[in-house]
Amino acid sequence: MTVILGDLAVLGPAGPMVEPISAEIAPGATLALIGESGSGKTLTAKSIVGLLPRGFRATGTVSVAGQAIPVGSAGDDAAWRRVRGRSVSLLLQDPFTSLTPVHRCGDQIAWTIEGAQGRRLPRGARRAAVEERLAEVNLPARVADAFPHELSGGMRQRVAIAAALASDPQLLIADEPTTALDASNQAEILDLLRRIQEERRLSVILISHDLGVVRGRTDDVLVMRDGRVVERGATAAVLAAPAHPYTRALIEADPVVAARSGARLSAEEDASGDRAPLLACEDVTKAFGARTVLDAVDLSIAPGAIVGIVGESGSGKSTLARCIAGLEREDAGSIVLEGEALAPGRGSRTPDQMQIVFQDPYSSLNPMMSIGAILAEALGVAGRASSEVPGMLEMVGLPAEFARKRPAELSGGQRQRVAIARALAPQPRLLICDESVSALDVSVQADILALLARLREELGIAILFISHDLAVVRMIADAVTVMWDGRVVETGPCHEVLEHPAHEYTRLLVAAAMRENAVPADGKD
Amino acid sequence: MSDIRVIGVLPVRRRRRRLPIGVGVAMGVLALAMLAAVLGRLIFSDAMHQDILAATLPPGSDGHPLGTDELGRDILQMAVAGTASALVGPVIVAVGSMMLGVILGTLAGYERGWLDTLISRWTDLLLAVPVLLAAIVVSGVMGGGYWVTVALLIVLFSPSDIRIVRAGVLEQSARPYIEAAQMLSLSRWRVMFRHILPNVTSLVVTNMMLNVAFALVAFSSLSFLGVGVAPGTADWGRQLTDGRAIMFQNPAAVFVPALLIVAVAVCVNLVGDWIGQRLSQVGEEAR
Repeated sequence: MTVILGDLAVLGPAGPMVEPISAEIAPGATLALIGESGSGKTLTAKSIVGLLPRGFRATGTVSVAGQAIPVGSAGDDAAWRRVRGRSVSLLLQDPFTSLTPVHRCGDQIAWTIEGAQGRRLPRGARRAAVEERLAEVNLPARVADAFPHELSGGMRQRVAIAAALASDPQLLIADEPTTALDASNQAEILDLLRRIQEERRLSVILISHDLGVVRGRTDDVLVMRDGRVVERGATAAVLAAPAHPYTRALIEADPVVAARSGARLSAEEDASGDRAPLLACEDVTKAFGARTVLDAVDLSIAPGAIVGIVGESGSGKSTLARCIAGLEREDAGSIVLEGEALAPGRGSRTPDQMQIVFQDPYSSLNPMMSIGAILAEALGVAGRASSEVPGMLEMVGLPAEFARKRPAELSGGQRQRVAIARALAPQPRLLICDESVSALDVSVQADILALLARLREELGIAILFISHDLAVVRMIADAVTVMWDGRVVETGPCHEVLEHPAHEYTRLLVAAAMRENAVPADGKD
Repeated sequence: MSDIRVIGVLPVRRRRRRLPIGVGVAMGVLALAMLAAVLGRLIFSDAMHQDILAATLPPGSDGHPLGTDELGRDILQMAVAGTASALVGPVIVAVGSMMLGVILGTLAGYERGWLDTLISRWTDLLLAVPVLLAAIVVSGVMGGGYWVTVALLIVLFSPSDIRIVRAGVLEQSARPYIEAAQMLSLSRWRVMFRHILPNVTSLVVTNMMLNVAFALVAFSSLSFLGVGVAPGTADWGRQLTDGRAIMFQNPAAVFVPALLIVAVAVCVNLVGDWIGQRLSQVGEEAR
């Protein structure tokens, strides 16, 4: 039943992409592959299920319970069909795109079951089999009749797990299975996977950039960088005493580690202060059709303070930010900046009041403009000369030559630095960061957070920092506002909210931030 | 567990861009056609000269490699001299409808509201008009002529451009880089034409090239029906019409202009597709 990887390597069109990896995974054991984007962890996973992109090829051997996987024969669909699903299943990151939107969830699970058995099932048996699989992932039978868009992200990922496991594989490859989910869902999904794995004696390869996911839920770990394994060993041992400097850097960058140790990137300032607030929102209300997304929300930001807003997707935190920025029009309530009331919409606002840094660095820069042109335009808005472009790049830690490059030539972290420079060019008094580090790798995320903390020190700018992850927010915020279902459920100085969460939802978020397992009986770590 | 071997430094992957053979040939054909369009009428200034004594000569006759038509006009000379009218009109139509499409499509897609409704209903109305039928009717009423046809086709071709540009602008408008531009309080014109438009160029250019091919066929059809160019003008569609009567005496009188129309239309499409692909790759890399 053991899974054995023997010198598994991936060759790209321009040479080796992943260098040979050997490993053994016992039944019921989990091997973690950790690394940032571009480290080769996903290519490795895809080579085991024969889904490498065109022009890529795998070498080496993989055997699952004694059966050889045809890793070398990429195009041989007949051979792969005997393997995919039956021996190996793949669970993908994004539950929003990995299910077919036009088919009911039950059908999608049934396909895997029928595919594995090689025959169509009669109606009743098919239904019973689907409901049994749904029950295994703690979903009610009615989900079988639902379309994916009718379910939440967490439920969708459960359906995806049920579909992946419906064929009773011996090896499950989970590629960032919880990255796209809210903090409160992440732990549940991981614990569910762990439970099923133990029940079925399933071997699992868990791929993640997030040490929090790996900690306590995996047996062995391979740390990968640039297509190479830089460190390997038992998970607990590697995390406790990392030998390679890269592993150490990854652990230090992990916001959960910081949350447990209480480390911060900037000293927490007293945000309550007697000073007049820079920004004061009162009773801000907004509805999209019949759905109220903001229900009488109050928010206050002191000059030079970093205020974090935490909540899951749909809590209204982004809508609040967009109302403040004037990108959405609030239905009611007042937004006052420096004593001046702002009417809804962009029309009443000037660029030197506030700027936003968005979540996705890949779509927030105009792909057709050079970095220099993007920054020069933003500087021009404030009447500043384009000769200041090198200075702006330097301020966000990029070399001046970057002015000539286009966004496509930059990494995600570099693009986010450019976005920050663009936002700072009109010298705004408030910088809104809407999930600005969520799409970045952990180590890059730490760099960007440090940059924001430094900019606050140097420029005295106030920052409204929005995130779904309390562990990230607590690294730099002075005050935290917790939102849930369009309402503010808790607000206060950062340490107070963390140490004495008053609201039940906040307690859940704090637990998720510390990656405390929802099921303490786990017994690991 | 086994040791980890080092294979070597990963080389940087560079994409080589090679011109596909078909596109290269198509470009060559179009280059020749453009040369003929510019020089054709200068070299064969008397291409339309009639010589009844040399009427309906088969291909290979002395001094007339492709023979002559009923009126003794040289087929080869007419075909070369006709290139100008075959290319100039379609290119002007394609460029003209593209400009209409870019301006109206961008306004409709970015401004939305009543302007979008007005422009979109206008395009719906125009799309319901059959192009050739309308051209025949207008020519009948206004007396026809080359430039009337050009103006009419610009208007009738514009709905597809407007719709395509509008769809592209709608897609781009929702992206964060546009909101970032709005955060800088840039003027709407700057957002529309400096930020959005360069990102829909691939759509616009591909569609323009397709329109050149469509317009070429439309022009030739109209000339064939006798409502395009004036009689006595060198034009492929006209030549096709005139050659029908002597198809069996001199097949070249029909097949030469027909093949030229097909060849140029196909080449324009090939090159247009290729340019569109290249341009959209520039955008893809950014994603």
